[in-house]
Amino acid sequence: MKSFNYVITDEVGIHARPAGLLVKAVKALSSTVVIKSGAKSADASKLMAVMGLGVKKGTEVTVEVTGENEAADAVEVENFFKNNL
Amino acid sequence: MKDKIFGVLQRVGRSFMLPIAILPIAGVLLGIASSLTNTTTLEAYHLTAIFGEGTILNALLVVMNDVANVIFDNLPLLFAVGVALGMAKKEKEVAALAAVIAFFVMHSAISACLTVSGKVLADGSLAPNVLSGTITSVCGIQSLQVGVFGGVIVGIGVAALHNKFYKIQLPNALSFFGGTRFVPIISTVVYMFVGILLYFVWPTVQNGIYALGGLVTGSGYLGTLIFGLVKRALIPFGLHHVFYMPFWQTAVGGTMEVAGQVVEGGQNIFFAQLADSANIAHFSADATRYFSGEFIFMIFGLPGAALAMYHCAKPEKKKEAGGLLLSAALASMFTGITEPIEFSFLFVAPVLFGVQVILAGSAYMIAHMLNIAVGLTFSGGLIDLFFFGILQGNSKTSWLLIIPVGIVYFILYYVSFRFLITKFNFKTPGREDDDEETKLYTKADVNARREAAKASGSAGGGDAVSALITQGLGGKKNISDVDCCATRLRITVFDSSLVDDGILKSTGASGVIHKGTGVQVVYGPNVTVVKSNLEDYLESPASDAPVTVTAPASVKKEAKAAKSVNASVYSPMKGKVITLEAVADGVFSEGMLGQGAAVEPEDGKVYAPFDGEVQMVYETKHALGLMSNDGVELLIHIGLDTVQLGGKNFDIKVKDGQKIKKGDLLAIADLEGIKKAGYRTVTPVIVTNSDDFSEIKQVKEGSGSAGDKIITVK
Repeated sequence: MKSFNYVITDEVGIHARPAGLLVKAVKALSSTVVIKSGAKSADASKLMAVMGLGVKKGTEVTVEVTGENEAADAVEVENFFKNNL
Repeated sequence: MKDKIFGVLQRVGRSFMLPIAILPIAGVLLGIASSLTNTTTLEAYHLTAIFGEGTILNALLVVMNDVANVIFDNLPLLFAVGVALGMAKKEKEVAALAAVIAFFVMHSAISACLTVSGKVLADGSLAPNVLSGTITSVCGIQSLQVGVFGGVIVGIGVAALHNKFYKIQLPNALSFFGGTRFVPIISTVVYMFVGILLYFVWPTVQNGIYALGGLVTGSGYLGTLIFGLVKRALIPFGLHHVFYMPFWQTAVGGTMEVAGQVVEGGQNIFFAQLADSANIAHFSADATRYFSGEFIFMIFGLPGAALAMYHCAKPEKKKEAGGLLLSAALASMFTGITEPIEFSFLFVAPVLFGVQVILAGSAYMIAHMLNIAVGLTFSGGLIDLFFFGILQGNSKTSWLLIIPVGIVYFILYYVSFRFLITKFNFKTPGREDDDEETKLYTKADVNARREAAKASGSAGGGDAVSALITQGLGGKKNISDVDCCATRLRITVFDSSLVDDGILKSTGASGVIHKGTGVQVVYGPNVTVVKSNLEDYLESPASDAPVTVTAPASVKKEAKAAKSVNASVYSPMKGKVITLEAVADGVFSEGMLGQGAAVEPEDGKVYAPFDGEVQMVYETKHALGLMSNDGVELLIHIGLDTVQLGGKNFDIKVKDGQKIKKGDLLAIADLEGIKKAGYRTVTPVIVTNSDDFSEIKQVKEGSGSAGDKIITVK
């Protein structure tokens, strides 16, 4: 499992627009991606779950990537966060 | 409301069990020790050489006596702590500490008031005009005799304060005193005033109870009946001491000349006569009328009630109920401690307690009428019957009459309890509801799950079980608090309609009982393990994931594999239905979140688009996540970019996890307000798990009203 922390800079946090992009991006990967925010966690391939985290701007989330290609996938997910969130 | 009261009573009743569990052993110690250290008893049986003062056995008995007494003397404190522990939702140890503090604070406040007002003199002795039995020493503090009642009000009050404040956040400068540290602080302040209040109020209560005594004296058999009724009715509240002690110990209970000396009080007269038994033909039943009847219902009557409850228990629960009832019955028979058995029905069926009061009260009168004169040191169990009845001989005590009368009472208790329990369907032990109709799974499913649960349990995880329990209880957010008794997991939920008995039973439970928001899941003696696993699970992040994640995906897939979905989504709002493309907004129009449709609303009311449940209400209230009973996940996003409004203009009528029916009002949006703030009100309705289905089709376009079919899902 690979993991990284990221502080959200997007004005509205992980909401519809970025969440939709994120779910789409994650679904393209072979790894399982879990986002943890405080005590909550969500499967990043499920839109409802991701939006349900209610992550706001300035919140630090932990992203865990697990799977056969986890090293490469983790880089991709991290890039996605940097570019979109 | 009624269910809520039951929920509280259930918690209070259960909380009593911890301190009550100590009573039988304390009772046995006290029963044996007080009987064998009573010098009149010893002289009467010529046992002074063995048990008399100075012997080793005597020393041992004195120790036993004191050990038992310290428990009974401090019962109020034990109840204060026990009830606070039982009623506190979390951080129970803090509640226990706060209860001890509050208990001492309250009694110190009362004591100070008593001293200030001159009822307790400077040297610690009582003023001469103080009513006997109303002031007593509580852990060395001269205070009002509040009895167990005082402990219970401390326990319940502190638990309430604790549950309210244990997470309190104070300003930074005071933050050290926040959270659980605040609980003892607030308890101290509150109970200082409770103590002052009791100082003013309690004497009125005491006078009232004491005045009841006036009804008893001088009125023969009827007086005995009244005495019995009042004493039995007061016992569960621990208020009986101020009532019966005068009869046992003072002139209120009668005076008699025994061996040339004037003796006061029923119990004192009996023991004086016992000391002088060589010259007594028959002990005075006028003196023993305040306790001889207790043998009848403690040895015979209440065990009859226990047997009735056992016979009324459901077959599958007999074993469990039997263990509880047998030990309670034995405690009553041998030591004369009736609380365990009384508490087993007092809270679930107060009517039965009324029956108990009447039957037991009448037993005092019958014993009086039949001239039964068996004394007791402590209570009316077999121990005291042996020493003060059987050993004294029937000619002096008429103790043999207790047996036929007792048998009659056994039958009376048995018949009346059995009749009332079956007639009114009282939920006495072993009769709790066990609703089978909600069983959703086939036996094979249940067995498979049980095997799986066992496997993961033995692997040390236990989490699959806990996850399933959480799911069965309607998700973590639906769980208010978790506790357990000997065999049951006791949970308070927010919405009992979300509880799924089928799932709970598949976790190895033998039964599920509902009472309003209280849920009891019967697991058997290993329940403590189930409970701590569940608590650990609930504290782990895994349980915090939304229901979509917590609910095992396999369940959903099974459902899909089993039947081809043919679901419909109905318009949640009145207005023109348009395609997502027509929304002309990147995210929604490109189908990035999933396929669906959108409504240009003419009215701010949002209705449920299908039968299902609310998965989540977003913090900013502008969007709802729903799940239909067919497994369709739906996002209703009221307006575009309305997350920016931070909740303004939205009024959500539902909460997470709530079950909904098509057409239920979910939310009201202030469309004008949204427009004024500069946002569009067009509301996309999107199937967010579109990938799980083969076809999602918009079936309507153009103006319509809420409830029109707009999307089909296959």
